Amino acid sequence: MMPQVLTANRLSVGEVVYWNAARGWVAHMRDAEILPDDKAEAVLKDAGARGVQERQVVNPYLLDVRVDGSTVVPVKAREAIRAAGPSARRDLGKQAD
Amino acid sequence: MYRYDEFDAQFVRERAEQFRGQVARRLAGELTEDEFKPLRLMNGLYLQLHAYMLRIAIPYGTLSSRQLRKLGYIARKYDRGYGHFTTRQNLQLHWSQLPDVPDMLLELAEVEMHCLQTSGNCVRNITADHFAAAGSDEIEDPRIISEVLRQWSTLHPEFSFLPRKFKIAVSGSAADRAAIMVHDIGIQIVRNDEGEIGYRVYTGGGLGRTPFIGHEVGQFVAKTDILAFIEAIMRVYNESGRRDNIHKARIKILVHQIGPEEMRKRVEREFAEIKASGTLQLPEAELQRIAAYFAPPAFEELPYTSPELDQAKTSDPAFANWLRTNVDAHKVPGYAIATISLKRIGETPGDCSSDQMEALADLMDEFGQPEIRVTHEQNLVLPHMRKRDLYALWLKLDALGLSTANHGLATDIISCPGLDYCDLANARSINIAKEIARRFADLERQHDLGELKIKISGCINACGHHHVGHIGILGVDRKGVENYQILLGGSGAEDASLGEILGPGFDSEGIADAVENVVATYTKLRHSGERLLDTYRRVGAAPFKERLYAR
Repeated sequence: MMPQVLTANRLSVGEVVYWNAARGWVAHMRDAEILPDDKAEAVLKDAGARGVQERQVVNPYLLDVRVDGSTVVPVKAREAIRAAGPSARRDLGKQAD
Repeated sequence: MYRYDEFDAQFVRERAEQFRGQVARRLAGELTEDEFKPLRLMNGLYLQLHAYMLRIAIPYGTLSSRQLRKLGYIARKYDRGYGHFTTRQNLQLHWSQLPDVPDMLLELAEVEMHCLQTSGNCVRNITADHFAAAGSDEIEDPRIISEVLRQWSTLHPEFSFLPRKFKIAVSGSAADRAAIMVHDIGIQIVRNDEGEIGYRVYTGGGLGRTPFIGHEVGQFVAKTDILAFIEAIMRVYNESGRRDNIHKARIKILVHQIGPEEMRKRVEREFAEIKASGTLQLPEAELQRIAAYFAPPAFEELPYTSPELDQAKTSDPAFANWLRTNVDAHKVPGYAIATISLKRIGETPGDCSSDQMEALADLMDEFGQPEIRVTHEQNLVLPHMRKRDLYALWLKLDALGLSTANHGLATDIISCPGLDYCDLANARSINIAKEIARRFADLERQHDLGELKIKISGCINACGHHHVGHIGILGVDRKGVENYQILLGGSGAEDASLGEILGPGFDSEGIADAVENVVATYTKLRHSGERLLDTYRRVGAAPFKERLYAR
């Protein structure tokens, strides 16, 4: 099994965000908390549900990542695109920040 | 163009204000996401990968300069300065923010636009031939009946909770530029032996997970009967269409399961009942009233040819190339139809910047064009250009990056937004479209290949119409990796057919090579005058498979 990251979209602006217990919902995957596989579901049920309850985010879910030294890489192309922005428009999304 | 009456205008404004209240209640926590989602979808607002996406309805793809200018303004003020024209002739803004959307809807209402019925299990935006009122082969403007159907189907209480979404397309001529055979209902305007104009009606066509070509259910439906006839189809569907399985809920599945003959019988039975009640006869006066909105501009009496045009054609080869593919015959002498390609090499198919939209609106005013059309192939059309103005228009389009001379050629690719934006997608489509366009950019080569329709979808839902591409490409997820299947032999035109999957898919690095191999097989085997589609139909899949999978 793989380590996971909790993600969602901000309710108001739809922006992609990631969960970090110390910092709350953060904009970049590099700042996300890496969740060991056996702990991830509990974080989704707790922090994810709370984020929805408090109207910060919508649609929280867990995504698989590979941790390579200090870099966190999502397994699926979809999550790499969510993390960066459209690969067809490098001037847009988080990759352009 | 159709103009809202006071009731339309008031209704659309009120809906925007209602949505403002709904957004406020959502943000205040009075509505849960489950409660709010259907409300936002009723206003065309989706949540996609990076942000909210607002889908704006463009009925039968027709826009005034005022509307196009407003779309450019909205995209700049509230979004990221561009929009994406879709295969339903709509415009999508991919970076909308929830608190802004009520204001965006009010801005749209100012120019008689909205996002109603761009989502949900209702009758969606009705699409029509983009050469309406201009095509030299046209029997009647398809937008007249489209507008009648739009008014009839908007908020129709009986058809607001259909088993699934419902798409209608209308063609005004024998040449099908609206893909009517792959719609839930396709309407072709025809003339009978007595010279009367009526409608040939098809149903049960569609793309997506289970593609079908539509079946004729009405050979010649009289004008006064058309609403009763369409309502009859909708009733049969509403009553018998499946609601237990979202993948089997479209009318195409019903028609396939009961068979076209049984469908015809059931429609005839309902039609007879509705007609006997006499409540849905379309009054001639009302039809005339709506038709008047679509009266073409007052055409000048012009000579068939234009010396200005002929001279420019000789002196400017780039313009001559554009004329060759992007200009079609108009029904009035001295006029022409100009297609503005949104398929510049290196750009996203169907994308148009705010600057371009506003500049195009200015050009419409400058050249006396009351309307611009959005095509289901993700291009724009100026339908009533004076031939003598074409060169001046082209020079200005060229300065805007909108003079690409590729309409109908290999680089005029349909592409859905795919995994770069869409929540449903399994694979990217835009980058694949860009790479293929780059490979085939040489115009001489494109002309040598002739009409070649390449259509790409990033998932089985087929927004990119891949089943009806001469070459169709379907992006799938194969064990977490983007993979692309090739289909050959599809057509969305009057010779409609569904493409067949050639074999195992290709990865994102290999798909453009695979397309090159398909094209190379065609050029080796083709007879004189054959398009790739014709060669495929003659020789079948075998030689293409042989080349693609030879190891």
